[in-house]
Amino acid sequence: MAVFEYRQAQEIRDVFARHGVRYLFIGKSGAILLGFPDTTQDADLFVDKSLQNGRSISEALKELGFHLEPNQSADIERGRDFVQLKNGPFDLDLIFAPDGIERFDDAWQRRIEIEGFPVCSLDDIIASKVAANRRKDRESLERLRSFREYWRQHLRGK
Amino acid sequence: MDSQSTPIPPEWLEEFEAAARRPLEQRMRYAFIKTYKPVMDDADYRAFDSMEEYRRWCEENLPDWLGYGRL
Repeated sequence: MAVFEYRQAQEIRDVFARHGVRYLFIGKSGAILLGFPDTTQDADLFVDKSLQNGRSISEALKELGFHLEPNQSADIERGRDFVQLKNGPFDLDLIFAPDGIERFDDAWQRRIEIEGFPVCSLDDIIASKVAANRRKDRESLERLRSFREYWRQHLRGK
Repeated sequence: MDSQSTPIPPEWLEEFEAAARRPLEQRMRYAFIKTYKPVMDDADYRAFDSMEEYRRWCEENLPDWLGYGRL
């Protein structure tokens, strides 16, 4: 599996836009788009849970080169809460109901746009990691909170 | 909503400032890596009906050292 690259993020942005997919980058991949210096392995997308959006995601993923079996497309159209894809040109996690965030529409209102990439706010990224309460997030949470402070002081509005 | 404010340690501040000077494409090149994660990378597709189900699966199936277990 290839490393996720800027070019592939652009492809997600452009193909999802063509299909009208409602989504936000979330997790560490979202924070990295906002300028957080750290490492991660795959891209995480918070996607709106609706039949129409599920169909749009499924079509967009096929266009991006993911090999979806009919039952896998059905899972996405149904909006199963967590879908992990390693059957395409890069690894991708689709999260229909992230821990710590109540509604997609609320997160959408709070989003940050970076070069056309819709990204969850740092408050939402942190809230989801706090709610997930995993060991692997413990260390990065302090650093993320510091980065949020830096963002507020230096980057917000740029 | 988590709103805890944290002072920025000087060494992190330096890293944040350095990252802010880099274009997004370069930041992504530095940030995305690929290493094999046992069990997690051994299937090309998984889906779960709830995050709780996914978290439980991680705890029951992944090696502890990957860090997916809850505190």
